[in-house]
Amino acid sequence: METLVYIALFAPFVSSMFAALFGMSPRKTFVGIVASLLLLISFAASVMLMMHIYATGTGIHVRMMDWISAGDLSIPFGFLVDQVSVTMMVVVTLVSTVVHVYSIGYMDHDKSFNRFFSYLSAFVFSMMILVMSDNFAGLFIGWEGVGVCSWLLIGFWYHKADVTREENPSISPSWAANEAFIMNRIADLGMLVGLFIVYWNVGSLQYDAVFSALPHLSGTVLNAAALALFIGAMGKSAQFPLHTWLTDAMEGPTPVSALIHAATMVTAGVFLVIRANPLFSVTPEVSYFIAALGTFVAFFAASMALVNRDLKRIIAFSTLSQLGYMFAAAGLGAYWIALFHLAAHAFFKALLFLGAGNVMHAMNDELDIFKMGGLKKTMKWTYLYMGVASLALAGIPFFAGFFSKDAIIETAYNEGTLVLWAILVVTAGMTAFYSFRQVFLTFEGDERYKAFGIHPHEMYKFVLVAMSPLGILAVIAGFGKGSFEHFVTKLLPEYHMSEHTHHIAWLLGLIVLAFAVSGIVLAYKKYAKKLVRDEKVENSFIYKLLANQYYIPKLYEEFISKPYAMISEHMWKDVDMKIVDATVDGIAKFLYKSGDGARKMQSGNLSNYLNWMAVGAVLLLVVAAFSAMLG
Amino acid sequence: MDNILSVLVFFPAIAGLLGFVVDKKSARAYGITVAAIEFMLSLWLWFSFDSSNAGMQFVELIPMIPDFGVSYYLGVDGISLFIIIMATLMTLIGMMSMSVTENIKNMIITLLFLEMTMVGVFVALDAIIFYLFWELSLVPMLYIIGAWGGPLRVYASIKFFLYTFMGSLIMLVGMLFVAYVYHNLTGVWSFAITDWYALVLPVNYQLWLFAAFFFGFAIKVPMFPFHTWLPYAHGQAPTIGSVILAAVLLKMGTYGFVRFSLPMFPDASVMMIVPIAAISIIMIIYTAMVAYAQKDMKQVIAYSSVSHMGIIMLGIFAMNAEGISGSVFQMLSHGIVSGALFMLVGVIYDRRHTKMMDEFGGLASVMPKYAVIFGIMLMAAVGLPLTIGFVGEFLVLLGFYQVSPILTVLAGTSIIIGAVYMLTLYKKSFFGPVTNEVNKTLKDLDAKETWSLIPLVAIVIWLGVYPKPVLEPIDNSVKAMLTFMDEKAVTLEAKNMIKVAKSTKEVK
Repeated sequence: METLVYIALFAPFVSSMFAALFGMSPRKTFVGIVASLLLLISFAASVMLMMHIYATGTGIHVRMMDWISAGDLSIPFGFLVDQVSVTMMVVVTLVSTVVHVYSIGYMDHDKSFNRFFSYLSAFVFSMMILVMSDNFAGLFIGWEGVGVCSWLLIGFWYHKADVTREENPSISPSWAANEAFIMNRIADLGMLVGLFIVYWNVGSLQYDAVFSALPHLSGTVLNAAALALFIGAMGKSAQFPLHTWLTDAMEGPTPVSALIHAATMVTAGVFLVIRANPLFSVTPEVSYFIAALGTFVAFFAASMALVNRDLKRIIAFSTLSQLGYMFAAAGLGAYWIALFHLAAHAFFKALLFLGAGNVMHAMNDELDIFKMGGLKKTMKWTYLYMGVASLALAGIPFFAGFFSKDAIIETAYNEGTLVLWAILVVTAGMTAFYSFRQVFLTFEGDERYKAFGIHPHEMYKFVLVAMSPLGILAVIAGFGKGSFEHFVTKLLPEYHMSEHTHHIAWLLGLIVLAFAVSGIVLAYKKYAKKLVRDEKVENSFIYKLLANQYYIPKLYEEFISKPYAMISEHMWKDVDMKIVDATVDGIAKFLYKSGDGARKMQSGNLSNYLNWMAVGAVLLLVVAAFSAMLG
Repeated sequence: MDNILSVLVFFPAIAGLLGFVVDKKSARAYGITVAAIEFMLSLWLWFSFDSSNAGMQFVELIPMIPDFGVSYYLGVDGISLFIIIMATLMTLIGMMSMSVTENIKNMIITLLFLEMTMVGVFVALDAIIFYLFWELSLVPMLYIIGAWGGPLRVYASIKFFLYTFMGSLIMLVGMLFVAYVYHNLTGVWSFAITDWYALVLPVNYQLWLFAAFFFGFAIKVPMFPFHTWLPYAHGQAPTIGSVILAAVLLKMGTYGFVRFSLPMFPDASVMMIVPIAAISIIMIIYTAMVAYAQKDMKQVIAYSSVSHMGIIMLGIFAMNAEGISGSVFQMLSHGIVSGALFMLVGVIYDRRHTKMMDEFGGLASVMPKYAVIFGIMLMAAVGLPLTIGFVGEFLVLLGFYQVSPILTVLAGTSIIIGAVYMLTLYKKSFFGPVTNEVNKTLKDLDAKETWSLIPLVAIVIWLGVYPKPVLEPIDNSVKAMLTFMDEKAVTLEAKNMIKVAKSTKEVK
């Protein structure tokens, strides 16, 4: 079994190194094929591990070697494959295998094809370290590793120039990449502080040691640690106010958006909360904060998706919103439900993004859904995939999202947090609306693209086939809910609805469904026939507020980036040069000048010398007199 | 070989003297050969080093002026061992990658003398010998900046010399005073540092002496507000000068704090934690901001050096093994990484004779190999896990957290603002379209440059993934030093503050 652990972990690494060998040579299809095969191997190993754990019910713990030891600190490279991590491993490797195969088609004409596969596999490797590590420091390796890979991949088309924010809200790929990295770093500081708190109070960073020590720690320490770790999670999972990087990350190639910025990396924050559930279950205040923030983000992100015209940004907002749902579940203590939504969401969201990639491919990289429409004629399969994924996202029975999202909303009711429940229900309706607004504007109605001289075409066959596992899972994943619960609650705390909730579960479900269906119907009415633009609405304050993301990116620029640059400039030119350095030079000049001035005493004139001697004698007398008086 | 340390110190110097008779054309090959042998010798030192022994090893003691207790006294422990290896390595690699062609023979001879002084500082266990090498190291650097530097080279080199020299003089007075006190207490003269360690000084003496040593070390580090000689020195120095300066010479200052200030004045050191931490945090944040404002690539790296030295200073005053070991490790890491970054800036300077960032843009598509190596070093500089930069930074912040969580959070902003200026530099120079016609035909790294940089990349990753071989000996010596400091401390505060390993609050 140990071998399988290493195969699952290192196959993506080998893949990345292999592709890197050809990083600077021209496009070679076999690089993509080999990389995909290695990912498939990793997936197969993960599935075998899952079956093993399912059968035996116990996790596998391996310790590879020491990493950092200093003072009393000792951090090994250790890997823990248990119910939680194996679920993540299977989800990650499955989605990444599909995305790898997809990329062979999607990146077909890109001259940096080989480099792309190297980065993509490196990302998977980092993600595997993140989920498999048996300690917080190892998790942090993966945490930063995925950050770098995300930086590399967002900025993959680094040769593009910067443009104004009006022209492109994310300015340029390299700008978006830096934004993502720096914003994540802000959160990472919180994460590091969390690690420090844990270490100085427990003396170890190993999960098992930390979790078994929790009962001995004071409430303040627990709250501080939980909060600090959650700040880390907020960065990776793009929670408010560190959310702006995620939509800008859409500058990366679409397979990247599917894998990293929807299915896997952004769920790392949720994973952290689930992994550290013993800590978060004993800090109810922090957990409630997580749930409340998650609910807020769910609504906040959905509201921005309502009016956006960019195909990928809409999906990115919906990712943000669904991450909010996951945090709501985790914050309310329903860890397994959060994990279940995480897995289900990974499947249908990746599918949605890959579908969007097909559309972009067909539309010559056009992203504005107002310029599309009627694509169903040429892109039947893509329409089917995106339709299925949107149904799952909207929570229509009996697609995957129905089982997972409904359970979260039910949890909010069960916990008695009715405000959260109401917001989540409304958000479910908004989700259905914006998802289908986008589907209808893209695939139904009048063929607006003709005006731009675009000739859309369906994606390659093998790519469509490669997407099918995700399509199937988006439909059937929900039916595995029972066995999933049985499997993961061996490790995660069980969560049961109260008798009361159980009784009215049908009613709760119906309310959510009503919202979702009316969202779809509304979208159908407004957009399915043809696009009618309403000037009055588009010029309204609310519309503009939403379309400009509540002006938050602008706010950050005006009140953080620009002042920082300005202060830095002052620090350099005014403080460092004019005060600090000038003082040093001033002292030097003073010494030089006084020496130069004193030189004049050496006139060679004897009577002058006698005068100076007299002055000196008097001075000495004065000094002597003073010291005699004082002494 | 019992006297390997003497060989290590004087081999480059003797080779340097012989260098005067070497033909000009073969001077370079000669220099590289000597530096390579020296590096091998330092590796040999490592292999014969006993990692489990925390004390001084390979000790050589020959009385020189017995009446005043001055002796030729050398030795290494875990703390100095790796700095010596780094010094020999960076000299070798610096020479290999050197692009200077003018007066190459003088340059090689100067570098070999410089190598002697660098190794000498880190092996000296007698204060006078230490001081000799410390001051002598200024001369070759003065010459390197003054003779091969940019337009402002005379100003920069004199500023560098006088500034650091002034600080060292104050330190010398401190040293003489320690010897005087030692004589008063024991009746004999001694300048041996190990003898001085045994001295238990009253707190007010400690504070004065701490201040005297502080000036010598702080200017060298350089600590805020004594840092302004550094941007000039780096700005004017040729690449090889910057590499050695950043990698090794700055470490003399931080090494001084570990070798002298902490064990000799434990109470004063504990009392000075907050002021030093405050200065360190100013260094970290303020110089990172100044670095962000720079237009010149080399100045960004120069100011970032000051910022990183702030992290090292902070760790030294964490007073626990995590922080101090992390600090010593960070000295190595900063040496390798900043050395490499200066070499990389040199590469582009050789091609374009400018270091201004707005002259570039899109270099990644013209010089992919260069961009990859620069990228790796950049990630190491911002402390990415599994690179050498993470280990030290993490340990320092972890260690200092025990002293003060709030100050640690402030210092931790280094991971954010460090990324800000580094990524901005990278974006300005490497990303975007190639706007400048001249840049379209730039050659990627040639064999010489590649093979000088590859070993550094290998070390950056090797010690990031498996730091144990280096960290363990460092940690042993640091733990021994802390135990010793704890026993020696006079005041209760100091005893409470100095954390002997196994001090983490036990789980009840």
